[in-house]
Amino acid sequence: MQPGLVDTGLFLLSFIIPLLFVVLLMPTFMRYLVRSGRVANDVHKSPPAKVAEPVGPLLFLGAVAGEVIAYLAFGSLVPLAVIGGATVAFAIGLADDLFVLGGKTKPLLLLLAAAPFVAAVMFQPDLYVSSLTFPLLGTTAAHFTIYTLLVIAAFPIVANAFNMMDSFNGQISGFTLLASSALLFGVVLHAISDPGFSLARVSSVLPLVGVSAGFFVFNRYPSRAFDGDSGALMFGAMFAALAITGGVEIAAIIAILPAILNSFYTLSSARGFVERRKMAARPTRVGEDGKLHASLEPSSPNTLIRLVLLSGPLGERDLVKGIFILTVVACLLSGAISILTWVH
Amino acid sequence: MKLVPLIGIEVAAFLLIIGETYLFFAAVVPLGPVPHGLTEYTAIALVKVGLTFGLGVLWLVVMVSLTRLYVRSKLKTLTPTSSS
Repeated sequence: MQPGLVDTGLFLLSFIIPLLFVVLLMPTFMRYLVRSGRVANDVHKSPPAKVAEPVGPLLFLGAVAGEVIAYLAFGSLVPLAVIGGATVAFAIGLADDLFVLGGKTKPLLLLLAAAPFVAAVMFQPDLYVSSLTFPLLGTTAAHFTIYTLLVIAAFPIVANAFNMMDSFNGQISGFTLLASSALLFGVVLHAISDPGFSLARVSSVLPLVGVSAGFFVFNRYPSRAFDGDSGALMFGAMFAALAITGGVEIAAIIAILPAILNSFYTLSSARGFVERRKMAARPTRVGEDGKLHASLEPSSPNTLIRLVLLSGPLGERDLVKGIFILTVVACLLSGAISILTWVH
Repeated sequence: MKLVPLIGIEVAAFLLIIGETYLFFAAVVPLGPVPHGLTEYTAIALVKVGLTFGLGVLWLVVMVSLTRLYVRSKLKTLTPTSSS
């Protein structure tokens, strides 16, 4: 469906309101967190700096504001389903920020993030199409049960993959901004190529782009705010939900390939879900030169960060730049997938 | 910062996903004629599930092998030897 002038204005609103919400309210919220003693040590600085954490609740409210605008503008349940999944993931993340959940508890609880999403299908059966569209090859046959099982599995996998990318200054905000931009590109191409595609699906992606862009201002090196698990898990759950409602699952998987490889490396080398605070060997260490070094212990988990640092020690800013380069490559590949899938 | 090997692994992961998708559509989906009985239907379904699972395992094996190769080659150059 081609957007008109009014639609374009509504798109802009669902991007700008969450962006301004985060940018304008973040300083006040950070001061509140610092006053109430909610600060975390930035352990990759010497001496460790105190940073306001968790700002996840503010990011969540920003995303809710954007999705409500998308709902009011286009009247579809898609934005509400997206925010439903994000709410459950945010609540689980907030519980982890406040009480620390176990390494296996979090992924199990995150299965619940699919519940509001699947429940919304009862009210709007076309919330998602139960098939996958591949580049050049076409679309698989629709199968509601199998696809819904994949949807339920997608939430913990993607939310955890995002959470595992939240280790260094600016990493999670920059990664989410890049990946959600690639997702937006795919959804826009889908909307252009499919006349029956609801614009609410495009509008629902914009709050994630807006919130992550606003958060990047405060989270980039040197960080003044950390999102906590409440922010990272919410970002992941929103991304999963938007990929499903936008029908761009394959392009979305490719866009977050660095996060998927990172969680796959971590899980395979740590042999299962281990809370990062309880890992026997750390993947990296801060050297006397103030730079980050890869651990040379063979038993250290092979996180993506360790793999980058195996080429040589790096300052935190350069290390995150390296992760961004890997993400940009993945997003370009994702863009190619979107073009091959939707441009005929 | 030398990211070329890691970009190579990323591109390999991407190409494998695309290649395996093609294999899935070309070889797994069209498998078997229209079944005449429950036994044949179940057998074909199980073969399809098995082959799809196999494609997933192949992706994991290739990714683990590439990563191990990268880590080993890097550790060899970084770990100080006893003579040094």
